[in-house]
Amino acid sequence: MSTKHSKAGEAFLNDREHASWHNESLWFVREKRDKVSKEIPEWEELRELSSQIKMHTVSHLDTYLEQFTKNAEANGVIVHWATDAREHNEIVYGILSKNKVKKLVKSKSMLTEECHLNPYLIDKGIDVIESDLGERILQLMDLAPSHIVLPAIHIKRQQVGELFEEKLGTEKGNSDPTYLTRAARKHLRNEFLTADAGMTGANFAIAATGDIVVCTNEGNADMGTSLPNLHIVSMGLEKVIPDLQSLAVFTRLLARSATGQPVTTYTSHFRKPRKGGELHVVIVDNGRSKVLGNKDHVKTLNCIRCGACMNTCPVYRRTGGYSYTYFIPGPIGINLSMLKSPTDYFDNVSACSLCFSCNNVCPSKIDLGQQIYKWRQDLDSLHVADPTKKLISNGLKFLFTKPALYNTSLKMAPIVNIMPRFMLYNGLNEWGKGRELPVFAKESFTELWKKGKVK
Amino acid sequence: MTSKEIILNSIKSNISTQYDMPDFNLNAIQYSDKIARFNEVLKSVGGVAYLLKAGENVNEAIRTLYPEAKVIASNCPDISCATLNPDGSDDAHQLTGIDLAVVQGELGVAENACVWIPQNVVHKAIYFIAEEMVILLDKDKLVSNMHEAYKQITFSESGFGIFISGPSKTADIEQALVIGAHGVKGLTVILR
Repeated sequence: MSTKHSKAGEAFLNDREHASWHNESLWFVREKRDKVSKEIPEWEELRELSSQIKMHTVSHLDTYLEQFTKNAEANGVIVHWATDAREHNEIVYGILSKNKVKKLVKSKSMLTEECHLNPYLIDKGIDVIESDLGERILQLMDLAPSHIVLPAIHIKRQQVGELFEEKLGTEKGNSDPTYLTRAARKHLRNEFLTADAGMTGANFAIAATGDIVVCTNEGNADMGTSLPNLHIVSMGLEKVIPDLQSLAVFTRLLARSATGQPVTTYTSHFRKPRKGGELHVVIVDNGRSKVLGNKDHVKTLNCIRCGACMNTCPVYRRTGGYSYTYFIPGPIGINLSMLKSPTDYFDNVSACSLCFSCNNVCPSKIDLGQQIYKWRQDLDSLHVADPTKKLISNGLKFLFTKPALYNTSLKMAPIVNIMPRFMLYNGLNEWGKGRELPVFAKESFTELWKKGKVK
Repeated sequence: MTSKEIILNSIKSNISTQYDMPDFNLNAIQYSDKIARFNEVLKSVGGVAYLLKAGENVNEAIRTLYPEAKVIASNCPDISCATLNPDGSDDAHQLTGIDLAVVQGELGVAENACVWIPQNVVHKAIYFIAEEMVILLDKDKLVSNMHEAYKQITFSESGFGIFISGPSKTADIEQALVIGAHGVKGLTVILR
């Protein structure tokens, strides 16, 4: 039995050239992250501080959310609360319809993906324009992001060239990234100038000051909130942090971890609505508050959505974001999907080799690998454990607890070395699919030890 | 119950162990030559740092750096090369077609080439909508790292402030870096 992830991964790997390119593109980002993080001698201390600030904040989340709300409201910001995705979408539409908004420009927000806001608004007749270049490419292709920071990482330049040729009227056969980016700039500039409202996510919300902080490179969030008078912010409730000193820690970690940049080009602080305009913040729960009570998985709330765990993950890099069944892929996505619904998303827990590289790059020190291991222990109770693997596992348990039988089996093992392939690599050998068996040694370690051959 | 009450109650009932806020006794990086580091990082993120020489006129420097700029927008009092005061526009939408914006920065950060700007213009669109931008910065107003920066920055009455590090950029097409996405396509920080 294969999981949906392993089947989709197999299909992804069928295009060897594309799969290899995908792997290398992400590894390039991971290497940039290593380089810039090593320029900071206190890097590991920063990660520890970040983890501790998050642990403190989420365990006092009610206090900080109330403080944030009080300060934001004193600054003239209108704060809304949504228990779930439906309520979030209704609030957003309510604000838009009250302001007679026809066109909304959005900057990147994974929360609005989580809430399926775009189809909801489009259905209500709102013209929704994604303005992050990667997101815009995907919107025009009618595809979802395959990575949380690099949404179109799986798309080749030729595909973008053909898309823009059809949708934006660019030159035939021109797939130069600079040329295509300039064409998107021109196209989206017109959208910014004609939009009635701008929508952004939030990277951080500062309790002590009421600020919403948005970190971007393209300047789209700022264009979208500098022209229309209405700005709506959609934020998960775990985005709140205590104060600007805490923010200093996160701004030093976020972009270095995400893309290997020293910082994002723009770190925008929205404290008050623009003169004559409105600033709305929608605080969304959608299952997050329940995670607080889950001791094994509460640390997922530490996540600052940098995507470093995806860039480093050997499984993500070689299978792509669409192989996962949840809208957030990679190590963090596996955990978030299981918190959302284990019976719907258990296929994703197989997408891990337990190498724990994700733990070591996470800027908030989330124990991503251990958490995936724990989910796997629960699979049997969900009645979704792989029966073949269960059989092997039970067989090995039988063998490992009987030393005499184990040693006899080990003596027999070298026979495998000379067995014909058809006897070894067939449907019965789950392990031998896509990999070679090792050559078994003639003598076991125990035998070598007893003969005094181990120095 | 309102949604706010439902959410806050759910949070309260789910929190078990509470953790203290950590001490911030971090030995954060210091640069002996902050200007050199700022220069180096700004260059790496696609920008340019220009150190004004003693007695050099800032307007002449801007003119030399941007010889082709026709529409130059600035509300800075000593920028006489400006052809337009953007604060005179009624609406941010009128600020199209600006070749160069010249704005005043408050504080620079050596570790990542950020410059803090507390909104000091009527329409903040000017920071993004112009084709290119010059940020004027007092060379004595450089700090080493973000911890120091966040202790010193101020906000203006408008309630918007921004750290800017280099021109806008994207790598969304095949991770190929393109300078100039939706914001400015070029950025010079003039240190004086």
